[in-house]
This record gives sequence, structure tokens and C-alpha cells, in this order.
Amino acid sequence: MARGWTRNPAPEVDKVDELAVDFVPPKKRKIPGWVLLVINLSVFFLIWQFVATKEWINPLFFPQPTEIWSALREGMSDGTLPEAIRWSMECFAIGMGAAALVGIPVGLLMGSNDRVYTLLSPYVWAMASLPRVAITPLLILIFGFERQAELVLIFLSAVFPIIINCMAGPKTVDPSLLRAGRVFGANKLALQVKIVFPFTLPFIVSGLNQGLTRGLVGMVIAEIFGGNQGLGFVIDRAGQTFNAPLLYAALLILIVLSLAMVQTLRWLEIKVAPWRTQSSQA
Amino acid sequence: MFDLTPTSDNSPALPNAADHGGVSPELSGVPVISVKGLTVGYRKQRDDSTMVALQNVDLDISRGEFIAIVGPSGCGKTTLINAVAGLVEPWRGSVEVDGKTVKGPGPDRAMVFQDYALMPWRTVESNVRFGLEFQKGRATKAELAEKVRHYIALVGLEGFEKSFPYELSGGMRQRVGIARALVSEPEILLADEPFGAVDAMTREAMQGELESIIAKTGQTVILITHSIDEAISLADRLVVISSRPGRIKEIIDVNLPRPRAALDLKTLPEYARLREYVWDLLKDEALGAKELKV
Repeated sequence: MARGWTRNPAPEVDKVDELAVDFVPPKKRKIPGWVLLVINLSVFFLIWQFVATKEWINPLFFPQPTEIWSALREGMSDGTLPEAIRWSMECFAIGMGAAALVGIPVGLLMGSNDRVYTLLSPYVWAMASLPRVAITPLLILIFGFERQAELVLIFLSAVFPIIINCMAGPKTVDPSLLRAGRVFGANKLALQVKIVFPFTLPFIVSGLNQGLTRGLVGMVIAEIFGGNQGLGFVIDRAGQTFNAPLLYAALLILIVLSLAMVQTLRWLEIKVAPWRTQSSQA
Repeated sequence: MFDLTPTSDNSPALPNAADHGGVSPELSGVPVISVKGLTVGYRKQRDDSTMVALQNVDLDISRGEFIAIVGPSGCGKTTLINAVAGLVEPWRGSVEVDGKTVKGPGPDRAMVFQDYALMPWRTVESNVRFGLEFQKGRATKAELAEKVRHYIALVGLEGFEKSFPYELSGGMRQRVGIARALVSEPEILLADEPFGAVDAMTREAMQGELESIIAKTGQTVILITHSIDEAISLADRLVVISSRPGRIKEIIDVNLPRPRAALDLKTLPEYARLREYVWDLLKDEALGAKELKV
């Protein structure tokens, strides 16, 4: 439970009583966010480095950051990591692209047509609730240790969150907006184009965002279980050969790639629907 | 019992129509909106039962008249305005606008909504332009832009053209809603509790603004409200609707001078009497509805 009031310090000026309504306080030097981030991470890795050098933690599992760094540089220069990144990203782009291409129209159709919804919803909900990892053995059975298994797993992991989010758009469109559209002369097509679609756009983007994270899981799982290429494979092999620095290096790359994609979509989400994030502040 | 309707023996609302200026008496004698034996009901999807919202309503509205519809909540006020807008199909009877039976929405009628119904992804300017987007006309882009500019100025939103609705207060949002309804210069303005969601002070200010805007633009107005004060401050005639199924209980002429926003309306004895009279009518209805429920 919150106790007391929210901290709200008055600006440090001589006479608070005489402040104008829109008072701009004298510029206080504020540390920019990225500087804080750099300091934060540096301290984290320094402590890690110190603890690892002292061998207070098992260096087999927790190598020194400097070792990870050299493993990363070595992997980059001898081509194993660039090749793994290229493979993973290519598979991911294909699987994710197909998921978007199928998921968006299917979701929109299910959201706007009750018959299509009735027909498809049991399968969609069943597949969406099934942990997708569980079908990996089946996919390997069907496709063998080939690339298709990975593509299909990425597709299946990403497509259902996309469908479910896109479905919510037309289903929740504000009836009052539709009423306004009709009053001002919009026909059925115009209602779809000018009201339902813009209303749904943020749902599509958040669907893609969820699909993205799920698709990445599918990608790594496929590469760990079935593949012989890609970042997941590098991680798996590094683990089996006790090459912890390389393992960490590959994890680091995964973190960076996934963060970059998720943040891009999050930015896009705010961009296409600023009212969703900012109306609460008004 | 009350002698509050001195014009009821005259032809209806003739003197009021002249208040809005420019309309010839011959024209105003012909009703612009004619509701004839209107019955509208709905079929509930849940249990397939039916509900009659409005029963056998007759109402003629002259050109340039300002009509306020008051009644207890759930009495079918919104259904009536939806029928005039062409959003709902009558079960019996009809609505005629300019002698033609309403079969759907048309450019001669525009609406202001209680919840504003603005597109959150559009700027003020673009929301107002929405009122023109489906008009079949030969107006050039520049002419349309000029109209939009004019009506934004009329509702006092200059400088906010590029703002989004979420950046505006409730009162300002409804100004956008009013500009959007007026920009196509419709003959009839339908307002469904337009100030129901704004605070009391803004509400009074906006009532005055609406009165002066309509005095300039000359629309025939149907305003739904459950505020008796709002109805008396704005309307030429009050239509009191009974609780469900909605029937017209009484039509009352409001013979107060205009512009009313400039007057200290509430101090006039006529105002007080009218208010009391309508309040008694509505109180009966509200209580009656309650008794039915128990």
C-alpha cells in the first residue's frame, strides 16, 4: 500500500509564491538516459569481471566478460557468427514474413465476419494455447533436419498471436465511430477503409510485436533441436563443448537482435496510435 | 390547467422560425421534418424478445425551428433522432424530410454525438473535413479547405487545427464535433445530448455558443437532452416524451426572447414557471417508470 503523498518537490527558486502558471525552472543539469545506461552496464560488467577473476563463481559457467568479448571477436572474424546470424535472420524473416502475410488478413477476416470466426476459432485458440515447442518433434518427423522444419516452427509460433491481436481490432471498433461514419455518408467500403482499418492498425502492430518475440523462441528452439546452422545451433554446440564464452557471445547477439526488433515495433506502435499511450496523461 | 402555451392556438412555431432570420413565412409553414405515426422497436439478440422504443409518434418541425426533446432515460429519445438521421428503420410510420421519406442517412442531416465520436487518429482539421468527405460535389480542394477553416473558426478552435482529440478538453472536443456537423452546411442538425459529457460550467458556455452559431447558420435543430434548463435555454419548442414505450406526452412552446445567452434567463418568472411545469411532467414519468420496474 502506498502511504503518504507522491513526492513533488517545488522548484528551487527564491519565491515560489510568485511563480507564473507556466513557469520554466532554470535548467538543472540532468544526466541523459543513455549515459546512465552506459554507466549502469559498465558497473555491471566490472563487478562481473571482478567476481569472475576472483573465481568466486565457477568460470566454467560464468566466464569473464573479457573472455566473452574475445570469443565474440574471434567468432566474428572467423565467420562462424556472421554466418549463424545470416542464417537465423534469413529464416526468421521468411517465417515471420509468411506469418504476417497469413495472420493479418485471417485475423481481420475473423474479427469482422462471424461465420469465419465460428469456423476457425477452435483451431486458432487450440493452436494459440498449445506450447509450440511441443510440436517440434512432429515437425522434425515431417521435414527432417531440414530448413523447412525451422521455417514452419517460426511461422506457427508467430502466426497465432498475430491472428488473435488482429481479430480484436474489428471486434472492438467503437460503435459510435461507425455511427458517425454512417451519418456523414460513408458506405460499407468507406467504413472499412476510413474507420475500421485505422482503428485496427495499432492492434496489427502489437500483434506483430507479440508474433516477433514468439517467432524468435521458435527459431532458437528449431535450431537447438533440429538444425545444424544458426545462432541456436552455435549456442547448442558451444554448450556441448564447454565453450562458455562463445555461448555467452551468441546469447548477447540474440539479445541485441531481439531488442532492436522489439523496440522498433514498440516505437511504431506509439507512432501509429499516439492517443493510446498519451490519452491517459491528458 | 396551465396557461403556458399561448401560441398553441396559432399555427405552430411561426413566430419562432422568423427568429433565425432569412426564412420566408410561406416556406416555414411547410414542415421540413415530418414524423408520421412512427413506431420503432428492437429485437434483442439474447432471447429474441422485442422491445418497443417509440410508439406512434407524430411531429412536424418547421424550417429553422429549434426543437428540444426531453424525457426520462431510456424513453426512446435517441431512437427518435436515429430514425430522423436514417440510422434505424421504422417498424411503422415514417419520417419525411422535405417531403421525401427517409431511407438512410443523407447530406441534408448531420449529427453531434454525446461521446463526440471523433476519429482519434485524425487532427482537428481532418476530423472536421470528415463531414465533407462523402459529399458528392464539384467543390475544389481550396474551397473545401476554406470551409473547414471557416467552421473551425466559427467554433473558436483556431490554432488547434493540427491538434489531436486526445490533446483537447471535453468541451473543445465537442466543438470539433459541432464543426464537423456544420461543415457540410446541412439543413438539419441533430444533436444527441451534445453536452452530456462536459462539465457544468463549460456546458452553459457552450449552450450560449450553440445558440449564436445556429442563429448565424440557420439550421433546423433537434436536440436531445435530459437537462430541462438546457432545453428551455435553447429550444423554440420542447417535446416531452413519456417513459418506454416513448410517446409524445406534450409539446410546449418556449416563448422567451433571443438571444437567450445574453439574458439572465433564470431570473425570469416565465422561465421558472416553465421549468416547474416541465419538471412536474417529467417527475411523473420518472416515478411511473420506477413503479413499473418494482
